Amino acid sequence: MQDRSRSKEETVDALHAVAAEMHDRMMRGEPPRMTLPVRSKKNIAFDEKLNVYKYGSKKTIRDATSLGSAHQLLRALHVTEFMEDMIESKKSSTLREMYYISEGWGYGKFGSQNESNNLAEDLEIVTGCLREDFKLRPEEDGARIIGNLTFQERNRRGEWMRINCRDDVGDSGYGVPYNVESEKLQLVEHDIDFMMAIETGGMFDRLVENGFDELARCGLIHLKGQPARSTRRVMKRINEEWGIPIVVFTDADPWSFRIFASIAYGAIKTAHISEYLATPSAVYLGIESGDIEAYDLPSDELTPRDIEALKAEKSDPRFQSQEWIDQIDLMLDLGKKAEQQSLAKYGLDFVTDTYLPEKLQQKLGLVIG
Amino acid sequence: MDKAQRIASKQKQISISEFFEKNKHFLGFDTHQRAIITAVKEAVDNSLDACEEGRILPEIHVEIKRLEGDRLELVTQDNGPGIPRDSIANVFGKFLLGSRFHAIRQTRGQQGIGITGVVMYAQLTTGSTTTVLSKIETESTAVRVDLALDTKNNRALRSNEDRIPLEEWFEESGIESLHGLRIKTVMAAKYQRGKQSVHQYLRMTSIVNPHATIKLKVIGKDGEIIDEGEWIRTTKILPRPVVEIRPHPHGMQFGTLQRMLKNTKERNVKSFLRKEFEKVSPLVSKKILEHAEIDEKRRPSGLSVEGIQNLLSAFMAVKIQAPPTDCLSPIEDLLIKKGLEKAIDSRYAATVTRAPTVSQGNPFQVEVGLVFGGDLPSDGSVEVLRFANRVPLMYQQGGCLLTKGIESIDWRRYGLEQTGGKGVPKGPAAILVHLASTNVQFTSEAKEAVSENEEVLDELRRALFEVGRGLQGHRKRIGQREKSREKFDLINKILPEIASKSSSMLGRPEPDLSPIITKIMNAVFCEEEVIWDAKEKLARCSIKIYNYTARARAYTIIVKWPERDGVALVENERGGRKETLGLWAWRLDAINPGGMTEISFAVSGLSHGDWKEAEVFFRGNGEIIGSERIDESLLEEIRKQEGLKGVVEEFVEESPIQSPMTEVASEGDSSVEANGEEEWKSGNTLF
Repeated sequence: MQDRSRSKEETVDALHAVAAEMHDRMMRGEPPRMTLPVRSKKNIAFDEKLNVYKYGSKKTIRDATSLGSAHQLLRALHVTEFMEDMIESKKSSTLREMYYISEGWGYGKFGSQNESNNLAEDLEIVTGCLREDFKLRPEEDGARIIGNLTFQERNRRGEWMRINCRDDVGDSGYGVPYNVESEKLQLVEHDIDFMMAIETGGMFDRLVENGFDELARCGLIHLKGQPARSTRRVMKRINEEWGIPIVVFTDADPWSFRIFASIAYGAIKTAHISEYLATPSAVYLGIESGDIEAYDLPSDELTPRDIEALKAEKSDPRFQSQEWIDQIDLMLDLGKKAEQQSLAKYGLDFVTDTYLPEKLQQKLGLVIG
Repeated sequence: MDKAQRIASKQKQISISEFFEKNKHFLGFDTHQRAIITAVKEAVDNSLDACEEGRILPEIHVEIKRLEGDRLELVTQDNGPGIPRDSIANVFGKFLLGSRFHAIRQTRGQQGIGITGVVMYAQLTTGSTTTVLSKIETESTAVRVDLALDTKNNRALRSNEDRIPLEEWFEESGIESLHGLRIKTVMAAKYQRGKQSVHQYLRMTSIVNPHATIKLKVIGKDGEIIDEGEWIRTTKILPRPVVEIRPHPHGMQFGTLQRMLKNTKERNVKSFLRKEFEKVSPLVSKKILEHAEIDEKRRPSGLSVEGIQNLLSAFMAVKIQAPPTDCLSPIEDLLIKKGLEKAIDSRYAATVTRAPTVSQGNPFQVEVGLVFGGDLPSDGSVEVLRFANRVPLMYQQGGCLLTKGIESIDWRRYGLEQTGGKGVPKGPAAILVHLASTNVQFTSEAKEAVSENEEVLDELRRALFEVGRGLQGHRKRIGQREKSREKFDLINKILPEIASKSSSMLGRPEPDLSPIITKIMNAVFCEEEVIWDAKEKLARCSIKIYNYTARARAYTIIVKWPERDGVALVENERGGRKETLGLWAWRLDAINPGGMTEISFAVSGLSHGDWKEAEVFFRGNGEIIGSERIDESLLEEIRKQEGLKGVVEEFVEESPIQSPMTEVASEGDSSVEANGEEEWKSGNTLF
């Protein structure tokens, strides 16, 4: 992402341009406004050149003719001012801190943390900067990694530390920092054949305990639900810089499909930087809808919310391939979903001895052990 | 008395107790919790009926004390006419079952078995006597007597009878009245709070009896107060005296007719029909008998079963006028509103009293009230308050026709939540339903749920639609007000901050906001407010018209106000003119872009809460947010009706006219409240 990092002056100029758009219009006697791409699944399109989903050409104009939008504009100005201050004073703050600081902004106060997160993303989009440029940090901590990979991370004293994710870490693995750009994190060396992203902590720990990283010569990365930007970015770098395939192992439910989509195709909320975050070659390993029957897994009924989510996915441009249509339709037909840990029905080793080797052979042609 | 006689009398005594025991579920004494409610209900209903007959504004105090061993002491005190010494034993000692089935009119006492049941229950469960203290106006002292029931002879046994001097009466009764009745008894019962409680019963009673002041105090074993309530009268107008009517042929059933034929003093069937029924003229009587093929001269008691059946079918075949409806006592919408406001704090109240109508020979009338907003809880179902002949119905809500009427309406279109458009709606509201009828049909002897009746349901639904539409209008006005407020916030608070922040950040000059404001608002807004000036006893109304368009705008503003006798527009500096009854109009000078004009006036002769919201209409070009364009054709229609035809009438303050209702009120200037109500009602439904 080095090519996208902005200098201090560039960032401030970009932020001022937002204020200037408002001011210019007011000088012409028009209500102030901000122009943004529409940030929904209706406005994401596949970018042939970048091989990921990006925002399309639909724009939304946020102008001060309604109270809600006017609040947003005022907030944007407050946030801009706050970011300028941080850039000047060389501080950084978390998104949550910014939300609390907004308490003092009068009418510019945020109603919820979600609003402040969204506005930070809006500003990334209109300025072309990244939140790192704004000195904003996310709240969520990054993923955990275990496996024979060696990184170099710059610590708080500014020194480079060499860390092997198998030998230099405890059972919880290497914690991925929120900034994984090369000024902070460098990929040194590895001895693995592929990287496996795992949705749940329970399954991650199971694979670690069973020594699957050594057994299958792979790196394991715990996604912690919907993966944070840094998690997706570090997978993207491993994939690109080392040429290592990424496989994704999740529950079988509509939300897991979305986790995979955000890794492989780009997330709707961050479609403006999909090319930096998404790994188009990532492979969905399982659990697939068909596995519920094929392996006779313990399952739960789909809830009305699950069914809604599956139906929504059918109109999501990212799920239009035949494979995904089949996957979604089959789940709707079965009316069932299953967790990763349902594999324990056949014993604790079943996942590492049988399920994963079978799936890896089927999807990647890899023979384990 | 020999042995056999003693046994026989004992058996008889047991059988009356047994009757009570066996039927206590529909007599209302089946559980300890319900027993106290029923006892209070019998006493309070009697008090209200007695006050109504005596044309007295009721003041009723209920005091309940917890005693050892699941017993309660109940004391009720009223300021009614009292009972003459010689009648006390009769009133309290006899079951008055079926005593006046001939007279048809709307009374509370239709339900339950009366106060005798309470005396009996107390005696059976605790062995205690019931103490009655009665003071009638014409006597200088009060009577105190302890009563027990002689179940064998269906009469009361008196003991400890005493005369009480006036000062002692004042002290013991706790009311300053020269007449009244105090009842004290002890019974096996349990006091509980909640939806089915004495408190709820009295609260509901106070809603439909806005002319009554009711107080409740419940005291624990250690003298602590467990529960209390106080509902002060909000009007001094007594319910209209009800007229007794005879039965109407259309409502007849076989058994009733048979009994009437047997008991009548009339010697032939023709005079029987004429004298014992409403709307049976000599001609009608002749036609009925011809149709039934019964000789006019026949003795009424001599009719065969077949003959009675023929008579019944003739009743339906011959054309007979509908019965009179002045035997009903509706609460009337203004008073329902006052009653509801007495018990429930809300933002908005709408009430409808339908015209009386007839079902199967029985006159009936439906009334509905709806309150919304304020402190009412917005989660959960709306409170349904059911009444039959002013008596609260507290049990079997689900099986009651009155509930079914509410459930059958799609309240979603009126702004209440309702799953699938069916069932009791949810939201911050309460719905009152009152059925007044000479013959309320219940689903069972418990008399807690009104049974199915197409005509009643139809009337009920019409009334509910009407209050629903009122609610819809209110919500629309609230919505528009909210929208205007948002816009005002936007231009007065947010926009100036955007301007100053962006200017200072960029180091540029501040923009002129007025053209931007015009572009953002691009509308004319109306803000309306009615506040109660407690000191001056005036409802003060202020209407502000803001022009946020690029052009000057000129309008005539028309405001609906609660015009009626005794109510006047005052402090109206802008003058204006009367548009029609209840509508006042002001022609305003052109308002320039960015300008504002205010109309302010006050209305005298109202009480607090009578008028909370002014409806504002306009005439002129361009819409006004927060106001509706006046419907000229409707206006023309009203003018024709009033014979005003556009006559410009300068405002003249009128002196209140005494209404015929004043005679019933004991004190104060209460006349204005009901008078002129008809016109106000019609004005109410026109827009």
